[in-house]
Amino acid sequence: MVVAIILLATLVAGAATAAVEADREAAFARVFPDADSFGAPEGTPPAATAYRDGQVVGYAFLTRDVVGSNGFSGKPLDIAIGLDLDGRITGAEIVEHHEPILVIGVTDADLAAFVAQYRGLDIRDRVSLEDEPGVRRIDAVSGATVSSVVMNDAVLRAARAVARSRGLLGDAAAALDLDSFAPASWDELLAEGALARLRLSNATVDAALARVGGGAYGPPGMTRDPAATFIDLYVGLATPAAIGRNLLGERLHERLMASIRPDDQLLFVAARGLFSFKGTAWRKSGIFERIEIIQGDRALAPVKDWYRPVARVVAEGAPELRTAAIFVVPAGSGFDPTRPWRLELLVPGESDQGVVYARFALPYRPPARLLAPAAETAPSPAPLWLGIWKRDAGRVAVVVVALMALTLILVFEDAIVRRRQVYYWVRYGFLAFTLLWLGWYAGAQLSLINVITFAQALLSGFRWDIFLVAPLIFVLWSYVALTLLFWGRGVFCGWLCPFGALQEIVNRLARLLRIPQISLPFVVHERLWMIKYVVFIGLFALAFGDYDRVQPLIEVEPFKTAIVLRFDRAWPFVAYALALLAVGLFIERAYCRYLCPLGAALAIPARLRMFEWLKRKWQCGSQCQICAKRCTVQAIHPDGHINPNECIHCLNCQVLYYDDRSCPPLIERRKRRERARRAMEAAS
Amino acid sequence: MSAVTRRRAITALAAVAGIPLALLGRGDRAAPPLARWRGVALGARAEITLCHPDRTKARAALEACVDEIDRLDRVFSLYRAEGALVAFNRAGRLSKPPHDLIRLMAQARRFHGLGDGAFDVTVQPLWRLYADHFARPGADPRGPGARAIAMARARVDGGAIEISPRLLRFARPGMAVTLNGIAQGAITDAIADLLRDAGFDQALVGIGELRALGDRGEGPWRIGIDDPRHPGTTPTTLALVDAALATSGGYGTRFDARGRFHHLFDPASGVSPGTVLSASVVAPRATAADALATTLAVSDPARAAMLVDRFGASHAELKLADGRVVIVDAG
Repeated sequence: MVVAIILLATLVAGAATAAVEADREAAFARVFPDADSFGAPEGTPPAATAYRDGQVVGYAFLTRDVVGSNGFSGKPLDIAIGLDLDGRITGAEIVEHHEPILVIGVTDADLAAFVAQYRGLDIRDRVSLEDEPGVRRIDAVSGATVSSVVMNDAVLRAARAVARSRGLLGDAAAALDLDSFAPASWDELLAEGALARLRLSNATVDAALARVGGGAYGPPGMTRDPAATFIDLYVGLATPAAIGRNLLGERLHERLMASIRPDDQLLFVAARGLFSFKGTAWRKSGIFERIEIIQGDRALAPVKDWYRPVARVVAEGAPELRTAAIFVVPAGSGFDPTRPWRLELLVPGESDQGVVYARFALPYRPPARLLAPAAETAPSPAPLWLGIWKRDAGRVAVVVVALMALTLILVFEDAIVRRRQVYYWVRYGFLAFTLLWLGWYAGAQLSLINVITFAQALLSGFRWDIFLVAPLIFVLWSYVALTLLFWGRGVFCGWLCPFGALQEIVNRLARLLRIPQISLPFVVHERLWMIKYVVFIGLFALAFGDYDRVQPLIEVEPFKTAIVLRFDRAWPFVAYALALLAVGLFIERAYCRYLCPLGAALAIPARLRMFEWLKRKWQCGSQCQICAKRCTVQAIHPDGHINPNECIHCLNCQVLYYDDRSCPPLIERRKRRERARRAMEAAS
Repeated sequence: MSAVTRRRAITALAAVAGIPLALLGRGDRAAPPLARWRGVALGARAEITLCHPDRTKARAALEACVDEIDRLDRVFSLYRAEGALVAFNRAGRLSKPPHDLIRLMAQARRFHGLGDGAFDVTVQPLWRLYADHFARPGADPRGPGARAIAMARARVDGGAIEISPRLLRFARPGMAVTLNGIAQGAITDAIADLLRDAGFDQALVGIGELRALGDRGEGPWRIGIDDPRHPGTTPTTLALVDAALATSGGYGTRFDARGRFHHLFDPASGVSPGTVLSASVVAPRATAADALATTLAVSDPARAAMLVDRFGASHAELKLADGRVVIVDAG
């Protein structure tokens, strides 16, 4: 049967037309409204240059072209993105997607709203789908975290790849290689830019002071050789071993590295010549008033706490230095070691109107070979799902424990159903867990959409990670698939379906309130079963033809409304879910019985099960209909046999089976025994 | 984060900024390609033009310039709450001031001396007095009373600030500094120096004032100077090569409708001068040009030649209220 459906569906899929190739230019125009024309996509990675009035204003591209963004299904996921020259996203729009949505009822509008959030995003910002301090928050699609993660990944990776290749980021999106080491001499460090140098002669400094109206540096009347060195200044980033260890030696470098916090940086400053960059005032004032470190839009004033004297520079060929120091720049200062910075030197000089100051700048750019692409911009080495599992480890543990408990319940069902009170506690206790924790808290409601995704994955290249990205759903489905072999569909429908639990609890309350129950004649009831199979096969077949059209139809399942979104939704959805529950007041689990396509999907292979757990007596059906009457889903035929396609394995009939106050054959036997005992008592 | 939002504001404003300060020839794409940034700094239009064959490199340099403008704007601004000058004015002292503030305050003190007190960054109390006076509904159009002016003037003294890398301190309570007469020139110089240090030798930097690095490849940078009586029109053009141009005039910010009271004050009298409508100065650097232009705008035109000489400028043009134009060229 399943095979037949899949074959049928394949034919439908083959006949369906391929998704229409979206008009690239039109999409670009929408995501980059400021541009008036676009070039053809070109370069590596390919992106179209966006122009306004003939000036380049940015780039537009499709994520698929840039990062080959297949969705997790292996099918294309394509998002058009506009990126301006400041590295800011001007707009994003889904062009094509076939996302395997593992959670029910997400619509295209939800996905479109999701990607729209990227407009205005500076791609240098850190982005998270969760609340984190100092991180730009993007709201995941409610109930579709998986798709959100996939799309977030595609947008950021593609945008950053384009920005990097077009030089929009400078070196900002890079991380520093702290560990590689190869011996290098002083001159080699200078040559590769690991050290930067500024040599000022007396003449240069005096000329600069003269420009601001000052006289020569130092006490009046002092004569100096104009060509002699005023200061010969060297700076470098000493945090990476490739620079720091060569300058300071292994022992000092390691000692310094051990003494700082992880993101603190070591700046090496050394000089020779007349002028000291340190001066002497810092001992009292606590500030090195002659130097300032400037990066981007901030200036850092080195303070006493940052200062570590360096007695000896060990790099081979290092000149005789008058002063050498390390300044520990704290991570909290905002200093980014991967970006260029400059050291500014402030030199005082006397003028007729008081002291004036000249400034000299020594720019520094960290060597490119030490800048690795940052981890967050590189394709993550660990698979995406691994991180999700780590994050969800606690929830997974809860589900695993619950499933183990359920297994014990099922394996020892005989022992439980013999004790009516125990059974009720176990039954309603577990249903409460399923509804409250599994459903309303964790949103772990299996859905037909999972079945459709699974079938599609089988056809289009199956990959485990499609399913691994939703840990709870994965664990639940694994368990349901396995237990399908042993107990049939009932394990899910009767125990693990939050909406099923909700219906059963609501109906139980209705009975307590003495709401009259409607019992449909079995013939009618039996015919109505067919509806759910029709719904299932209809949706399943349609999914292969036009996956996107199935999305709204999946709303036949009230799961998203009632469970995932906890009724916090537009009123027609809420009204539909409430209507189903209202019918359920009079007909227990009416939705399960007649409408649920997921139940139908599970019912089809239900006959595969290996064991017959539910006990019957020969009198069942012929002499007594109590079980059939009390069955939560009326799965017991008038002839007494239990229909495994319909049975939800609630164990109600098994309680009755052992109950010598309900089951007529048992009642009779009990009465016989009682009579016998009384007779014996009377006789004695 | 604030830097980013601000940069965004700068970009947005740039889109509507209308008339370019510098009149540049059109159709000059054949020459070294130009990379250009337009925005707003210290409340005025700003523009940087680079001639460089590598547009990617030029763009990266412009980005660094925008950061630097933002940084300096924060140091020198009278309004940005997190700024160093605001902190100084508020507390009357500032320990460990940023180098840029130390240098500029020291230069301002020197210009105060060179101009015999006509250039004074401590006129802020006067500005406050006038701004408060004309902000009141039904304010006396003749301006604040003589007594109020005298009281404000008592708190104006450009020589009464202690300046050192450890501390900035006012000698008297109630003093306040405005760098509006010099900060634009200082930022213009800082950006020009930054570009020169990064290897750009052909650029025109206009952050309120103008500074040319080199020429523009096919001749000097050509600059138009506003006519103070008809703002927006540019009857005079100047050629700049490796020099700075600053213009100062009361037409910029007026307190009253007739323009009798504006943002320039003669520290000696405490009122806005009326003799000079505008002063334009060409000097090697924009900071000195800016300070001299401000000085000339509040000084007796007869002293112009002497001031041009003292400030080390090369050229000055004064437009006077009586229609005369005074031109001084340094010998």
